[in-house]
Amino acid sequence: MEGRRVDMIKAVTVACDVVTPYGWGVDLCWEGLLSGITAIRRIERFSTTNLQTQNAATVPGLTISRHESIIMQMITPLLTAIAPEIPHETFVILATTNGEIEILQKSVLRGTIGAKNSLPDHLLGKIISLAGTAGRGMVVSAACASSSAAVSKAASMIRNRELDSVLVVACDCVSEFVTAGFSSLMALDSDKAKPFDKNRRGLSLGEAAGFMLIMSEERAAREKRPVIGEIAGWGLTNDANHITGPSKDGSGLSKAVYNSLRSADISENEIGSISAHGTGTIYNDSMEIRAIKKVFGKRPLPVYSVKGGTGHTLGAAGLLEIIIAFESLNRRVVPPTVNLRDTDREAEGWVSPRPQSFESPMTLSTNSGFGGVNSALVLKKAETIL
Amino acid sequence: MIAVTGIGWLNRKEYGCVIGNIIKRLEGLDSLYTSFKRESIFSYPVKNFSRFDAISKTTCFCAALALKDAGIYYSAGQKQDIGIFGANESGCLESNINYFKDYIESGRILARGNLFIYTLPSIPLAEAAIHFGLSGPLLHISFNEKSLPSLLSFAGKSILEGEAPAILAVQAEETDAVCFVLQSKDAVSSGKSLCLEAVSSAAEKTNFPEIITALTGLGNRDC
Repeated sequence: MEGRRVDMIKAVTVACDVVTPYGWGVDLCWEGLLSGITAIRRIERFSTTNLQTQNAATVPGLTISRHESIIMQMITPLLTAIAPEIPHETFVILATTNGEIEILQKSVLRGTIGAKNSLPDHLLGKIISLAGTAGRGMVVSAACASSSAAVSKAASMIRNRELDSVLVVACDCVSEFVTAGFSSLMALDSDKAKPFDKNRRGLSLGEAAGFMLIMSEERAAREKRPVIGEIAGWGLTNDANHITGPSKDGSGLSKAVYNSLRSADISENEIGSISAHGTGTIYNDSMEIRAIKKVFGKRPLPVYSVKGGTGHTLGAAGLLEIIIAFESLNRRVVPPTVNLRDTDREAEGWVSPRPQSFESPMTLSTNSGFGGVNSALVLKKAETIL
Repeated sequence: MIAVTGIGWLNRKEYGCVIGNIIKRLEGLDSLYTSFKRESIFSYPVKNFSRFDAISKTTCFCAALALKDAGIYYSAGQKQDIGIFGANESGCLESNINYFKDYIESGRILARGNLFIYTLPSIPLAEAAIHFGLSGPLLHISFNEKSLPSLLSFAGKSILEGEAPAILAVQAEETDAVCFVLQSKDAVSSGKSLCLEAVSSAAEKTNFPEIITALTGLGNRDC
C-alpha cells in the first residue's frame, strides 16, 4: 500500500445513516450502545426450535411480507430520504453477503423459479433506482468484511481521481437460511454474544442496513457539504489459512492494520482507539487481540466491539462500525462492549464494559471474515482534516 | 503500467495457458484433478478438494494454470503477497439452492456446514487463496456492465494503488473459467507478458468461447 502523499485527494464522508436493531438512525444506535443494553432478543420471524439459539438482533417492526423483503424494508426509507442529495453521476457500491435471501428461501420452499432474483446484482439495480443515480455500480462481497472493503474501494477510487462521488450501501438480514447455517457450524452463542469475555461462546446474528456518501474533499467543499470524517487509510489482506477459522497468531489482520497505517501515512502511535470486529467467538476475539497487540505493543488503547449490542450484522457490519467510529471520534469516547462481564485475560486493559475516553483524532476499524479476509481502516475526525 | 503475465482457462472440453500457448483436450472436469496432479500443475494435493463446490473447483483449476503460465511457483505453507479478485454471473446461486434444499429436506432440523460455507461468493476465491498461499486482498465483485474487462481494470488499478504487487483476476462459472495474473510491468523481470489493454479488449467479447479465441489469438503482443 502506497503512503498518502500531500497532493493526494482526500475521501470524506458527507452523509450516512443506518438502521440497526436499536432502531432507525445513528443516534438511537449510539445511545443504545452507550446504555450498555443489548438489542439481541428472541427471534420471532421464524421457528428456532432446532437451532443453536433462539436469539438474534432484529430491527423492531420488520416482518416477513409478501410484498417487500426485510432488506428492502430497511433500505427503502433510508435511500428515499437521502436520494435528493445524491449527485446523479454517483457510483454505487453495494456490500452484502446474501442480499435478499428471502427470495431464494421462498423459491426453494414453494418449488418455484425466481431464485435468481435473490442475486445481489438484482438488489443493486433496485438501489440504483431508489438512489436516482445514473446506473453505474458494483457489488462487493468479502464475507463479513464486505462493507469495510467497499468503503476502502470507494475511498481508493476517489484518491485516484477516478471518481469524486461514491455511495456505499450495505445490508444483511437475520434469516432462517443464515441462522441454520451458523448453527450447523456451532458458531452461535446459545444466549447472547459476549465479545472479549472469558465466557464467550459464539456470535449472535444481527441485521442492519446503511449508506455512506463519500466524496472528494474538493467536491464536498465546493458543494458546501458537511464533512463527518475522512477515510484516511485502508488495508485488505487474506490469512490464506483456513476457510472458517482465523489465523491464530493474527498475522493476516496485523498486516492489514500495518497497510492501513501506511496508506494513511501515520504511525501506530497516532491511533487513539479501535473498533474491533469482536464477534464473540473464541477464536476471532483471541486472534484479534493478538493482532492488535502485535501492532500497538504494550500501550493499551480503548478497544470495543458493538456486536454484543447490535449482533453480528455480517455484510453490513463494517459500514455500521465505521459510522459508529465516526460518532465516537466526534465525541472522543468509545462505547462500552455490551455484554462484557468478565474480561478475557488477553483483552484486559484494552476492552471495557464502560465507555472509555480518548484524545487522538484518529481511530481504527477492523473486520475479519470467513475465507480469511481482513480489513483495517484509519478514520479521521472532521476538524483535523487539513 | 500493468502486464498480464499468465492466463489459464478451461471449459468442458479443453484447458490451456495463453502465454505458454498450450491447449489440451480433457475428458471431463471430473478427471481434471488427477491430470493436474500427474502433470504437477497442482504442486501438491488440494486439501478437501472433493468437498469443494463446482465454482471452487474451476477457480482452483484455472488459477493453477494461470500461475504456471506466469512462472509463479508456490509451495505449501509459504504465503505470497498476491491478491485474488473474482467476478461471475451466477454468484453462489447454485450453492445457495443446494444448501437450503438440503436443509429443508432434512426437516429443518440440521443444516450442513459443508454446504453452508459455499453460500458466500467469495469462498471459491478463498479456497484458491488457501491452496496457493495468496495473502493479498480478496474480493468478489459483480459489475453491472462489461464484467470481465471491468474486473481486469479494477485489479490493475488496485496494483497501481499499491494494494499488492500481483493480483489474480478470476471469472469462474461451473464449467468455464479463466484466470489472469496481473503484475506491475516494472516488477516483471523476464519472460513473456501481454499488455493489459490488449487483454481487456479481447475480454470484451460476449461469450466465453469467443473470449478464449480472442485471447489465444493475441500471440506475443507485449506491452
